Amino acid sequence: MRKDNLNYSVMPLSESFSWALSCPVSLYVHIPFCVQKCPYCAFYSVVPKTGDIESYLNLLDNELKMWTSLTGGKIHAQTLYVGGGTPTVLSSKHWEQLILTLERYVNFLPLLEASVEANPGTLSLGHIKLWRSWRITRASLGVQSLDDAELSWLKRPHGAYEAADAIAALVASGLDTSVDLMFGFPGQTIRSWHRTIKDCLKFGIRHLSIYELTLEENTPWGENPPEGLTEGYPLYRFAQWYLPKRGFIQYEIASFSLPRHWCRHNIAYWQGGNFLGIGPSAWGYLNGYRYGNASDIKLYADSISRGEFPIVYEEILPNEKAAAESAMLALRTMWGVSARAFRRKWGWQAYKKFLQVWHLLPEDCKKTIQGKHAFSAKGFRVANSLWEQFL
Amino acid sequence: MNNIRNFCIIAHVDHGKSTLADRLLEHTNTIESRKMRQQFLDTMDLERERGITIKLVPVRMKYKAKDGNEYVLNLIDTPGHVDFSYEVSRSLAACEGALLVVDAAQGVEAQTLANAYLAVEQGLEIIPVINKIDLPGARPEEVLRQIEEVIGLDSSQAILASAKEGIGIIEVLEAIVNRIPPPSGDPNAKLQALIFDSVYDNYRGVISYVRLVNGRIKKGQLILFMATEREYEVEEVGFFTPSMSAANELKAGEVGYVIANVKAIWEARAGDTITDAISPADKPLPGYKRIKPVVFCGLFPIDRDDFPHLREAIEKLQLNDSSLVFEPETSEALGFGFRCGFLGLLHMDITVERLRREFEIDLVATAPNVAYEIVLSNGSVIEAHKPSDFPDPGKIEEIREPYIRLTIFLPADYVGKAMKLCQDRRGEYVSLDYITTERVRLVYDLPLAEFIVDFHDRLKSLTRGYASIDYEHVGYRKSDLVKVDVLIHGEPVDAFSFICHKDDAYKRALSVIKKLKELIPRQLFEVAIQASIGSRVIARENVKPLRKNVIAKCYGGDVTRKRKLLEKQKEGKEKMKMIGKVQVPQEAFLAFLKADEEG
Repeated sequence: MRKDNLNYSVMPLSESFSWALSCPVSLYVHIPFCVQKCPYCAFYSVVPKTGDIESYLNLLDNELKMWTSLTGGKIHAQTLYVGGGTPTVLSSKHWEQLILTLERYVNFLPLLEASVEANPGTLSLGHIKLWRSWRITRASLGVQSLDDAELSWLKRPHGAYEAADAIAALVASGLDTSVDLMFGFPGQTIRSWHRTIKDCLKFGIRHLSIYELTLEENTPWGENPPEGLTEGYPLYRFAQWYLPKRGFIQYEIASFSLPRHWCRHNIAYWQGGNFLGIGPSAWGYLNGYRYGNASDIKLYADSISRGEFPIVYEEILPNEKAAAESAMLALRTMWGVSARAFRRKWGWQAYKKFLQVWHLLPEDCKKTIQGKHAFSAKGFRVANSLWEQFL
Repeated sequence: MNNIRNFCIIAHVDHGKSTLADRLLEHTNTIESRKMRQQFLDTMDLERERGITIKLVPVRMKYKAKDGNEYVLNLIDTPGHVDFSYEVSRSLAACEGALLVVDAAQGVEAQTLANAYLAVEQGLEIIPVINKIDLPGARPEEVLRQIEEVIGLDSSQAILASAKEGIGIIEVLEAIVNRIPPPSGDPNAKLQALIFDSVYDNYRGVISYVRLVNGRIKKGQLILFMATEREYEVEEVGFFTPSMSAANELKAGEVGYVIANVKAIWEARAGDTITDAISPADKPLPGYKRIKPVVFCGLFPIDRDDFPHLREAIEKLQLNDSSLVFEPETSEALGFGFRCGFLGLLHMDITVERLRREFEIDLVATAPNVAYEIVLSNGSVIEAHKPSDFPDPGKIEEIREPYIRLTIFLPADYVGKAMKLCQDRRGEYVSLDYITTERVRLVYDLPLAEFIVDFHDRLKSLTRGYASIDYEHVGYRKSDLVKVDVLIHGEPVDAFSFICHKDDAYKRALSVIKKLKELIPRQLFEVAIQASIGSRVIARENVKPLRKNVIAKCYGGDVTRKRKLLEKQKEGKEKMKMIGKVQVPQEAFLAFLKADEEG
């Protein structure tokens, strides 16, 4: 359904769509700037030139305004997530402007959580102070590793020492702090992996996301893969063994947290919640309607200035496919698929279909407790192969 | 009857049989030169292309001999390949003489010998013709000596000829008249007509080619096919000129055709005797036997929608080929198709090629296998055409497999290599003799199963193409064979089981499961691949459980990204077949259907 032009065509101005917009949603704001492109990263971002950030913040203002013209009032956001790119590339001054924009169009009254992504190299005390004084409750820090050799192999713009400093500062500020770590580097061993995790935990973080180094298409490493990557499976498995011993629950395939410190914004993704995505390459989902914004700041700017939504991808899946997708997403989490909720939302036939597949999965990969079907720890390890069955 | 001569031409492939026949047609003005084309009697494109004769087309020629009399010469062409040796023997039985054509450069080859012996066996007068004497490499004296010493025929009356240049053709015609005896037989005795071939015509039904041995046959007569015990009324009889032309009657000694509204070719098999239904002959002519297919393979349409089309095509071919048998078969990898039985490899090749060309069906032919005879403990004998036909090993008393007697003519330098090949293929040495100082005749008894797996190709490459072979079926012999089953995760998979000699079982089992190990992707659990004989596991490999699983980041709420990746991943696996809980890719089945590539 990729479109040639930027005009949205499918966006349904139906009752259920308006209803979704009048209810609290999750709001994602994309900051498409980085001080440099990392060779593995497929997120959309550019290195900003003078004035780029200011004009971008104006575009964001306009895009939000367009959405409020559909809602007929402020957008109700129950979670906020400012991601990137690198949101900390924005200075405190820029941040003030961003906050003003958000306050102008968004009603945060039922706010459950507001997260920002930060990078050790660009995070400042000014950011933290500002966030604390506003509504931000949570920060997710792109540490990736606490090993200097690994960081320089990854071509990250920061060292282990800076990363440690940043973690300490965030935790000290009282923000719910999460750390992103990566595994699968050349030469990485369970010992070095253990050291990185252990060192992170020492600072008192309450949330940890782990990702396997993935060679994505359209990235420098996707085109020219580096050699000698370590198989990620044992490292992932180690994390699954180690973190629960330290009180961390694996509530999602890539996320561990102390009880109730999960990221509610991300949970909305997995549980079929409505969310609005603002900014280039951001995605949104409103009661069955999914859209994707242009992944190019120029295209994005052009359509905003024409007063059009910068949407280049939209889809409304037929019930059967939508049901299968919702099951796959829900199975990313420890709460899994609730039989009752699933039946109510997608119908008895869809549930029967789900069960047919579910019964085929190996016993040690799944568990069903009190009407909830979820993957076991092993199930998470081989989730790709399990999900595939639902397609 | 005294001026009829019935004869055939026997020759090794390429020694010029069809060209000689062409010349005879021209010299007797049977065909006008302007209508002449090469290999006139070979009607199928395939025959012309391969330079071989598959179907027999008889022809009646009129020749005014030097003695002033006019003679009727009936040429009964014969297929030159051993797969069709039964048809050859029926054709020979319809003649009193044979031209034995030998290439002046190549000399006596394996098939020359086999066919000459068949002709001798039938009591035929044999006229040796040394062909291609115009070629620079011609060695007529040497070849004459071979005819004398190797075949054991009197070479003093051999004719030196070049069919291509028209040399010696008159001599050949005169020899046919003077040296081949006229047919014996009694036109007033009870009807006995030998069917030496039958073809199916869309408009007229089955047309039987016959040689009248005794009696007469004419339109309106009630006739009986003695082997199949079918009764029909004759619609038409006639001669081949070479096109069919109706006649009032055929009588003893003559060669012609009979049309009697017969619907299916198996009712009028080659070798059967036609007699009068009202006053039948006491007994049929000797030599009839029902020939059974010895080589089997599966034929599957590439496009699965072609299945009904394929069935129709095979049924049509069968109308014209009573030795072709088939039954439906299902394959894990290839879907629906047929298991077909053939007289030999060439018969198989030709059938497959005809299906492709004449019916335009894209198809896959699986590696061929042979038919086994299994003696059960209760004494009964069953036939097995594929591994899944084999009963439980406990119920098997003995397994027999078809053997061939293989004759190889080759330069003496390559004898060592050829013998090694035969030994490797479980061959039993029979004899070795020198035809000349450089040329050797090597005879082995070989299991047919070993022969059909690229034996000929191997031999050709070992001898740089200088070997010629011929073989005859020598029946079934007891063999130490076992059925090896392949189990994937405990489930036996028919498509992978195979029959082989006990001594080869371990080696072959290992190569099979190693190949499968490479082809079966890692699953969510460890998969055991086992090879077993009965309940005894003789080899085992494990496919380690799946580990590679990427935990990637969710980009800006883009859940479609993951879905698309998974869909791609799934597409690749779609072509897999579930064996129990294990996904097995098509390639695994396909790899197995091809012949084994060992060492």
